[in-house]
Amino acid sequence: MRIDPPPRRDRPETLLPMIDVVLFLIVFFMIVSQFADTEPFSVNTPEAVSVDVARGDYTLFLGADGVAGFVSDGAVVTGDAAIDALQAARAGHCAVADCAAEPPVLRIKADMATPAARLAALLPDLALAGFDDIRLLTVPK
Amino acid sequence: MRIGGQPQRPRRRLNLTPMIDVVLLLLVFFMMVSRFGGDLGLPMAVAAPSGGTAWQGPPRLVTVTGDGITLNGSAVTLVDLPARLAALMPAPDAPVVLRTGAGADVQALVAVMDGLRAAGISRLVLVD
Repeated sequence: MRIDPPPRRDRPETLLPMIDVVLFLIVFFMIVSQFADTEPFSVNTPEAVSVDVARGDYTLFLGADGVAGFVSDGAVVTGDAAIDALQAARAGHCAVADCAAEPPVLRIKADMATPAARLAALLPDLALAGFDDIRLLTVPK
Repeated sequence: MRIGGQPQRPRRRLNLTPMIDVVLLLLVFFMMVSRFGGDLGLPMAVAAPSGGTAWQGPPRLVTVTGDGITLNGSAVTLVDLPARLAALMPAPDAPVVLRTGAGADVQALVAVMDGLRAAGISRLVLVD
């Protein structure tokens, strides 16, 4: 009587190269990726062509209705309190870091429909809050 | 004759399938979430509150309103603006005052800043 040999089980060894590659990809994406900032409200960023990379320490949001927004320690602050929260955040940062040597950079993410006068009116307040280096965020056209 | 004689295989293979599931899920998550490259933006010069250096050359006041752009009060198009301004610039890095009028939104302002930056005029002071 012939008894068939038991079927060979799948050999899991063949999966190891795939796992290597997949783990390599995961590590790559984990290191390379940056997570988006929490946005207090939806903002349609204006379009521009000749731009620089705008790294910044803080991001102030400006809605289409001209309301400012700032995310302070995960809490959303809107309106005039946003400037105060921004100033407090800067003061907290400058208490432990040398802001004279390395002034913190502020990024403004304004909606494209925001009245430009509102943005212009905000700048003196921000200068008073201690921000000399301000970038206006845009997206490529 | 040995019955049930085969000794137990000493090493059992770990079942890799759940791990592969999780790892692929993580991979897809990071691929979806990751953003490459930093944010882009235009630098904005803040008007110095206390004097600063004296103004050099003729006035250069660009007003952006909902109706269009004016340079020192006379209407100008965005295409002509860099050339008209260049005649008024004592130095390439001389400041230009950008004033916002009624009806102008941020996109219109950014378009002017963008056009001037493309022409090499990058010191734009935005005033109310």
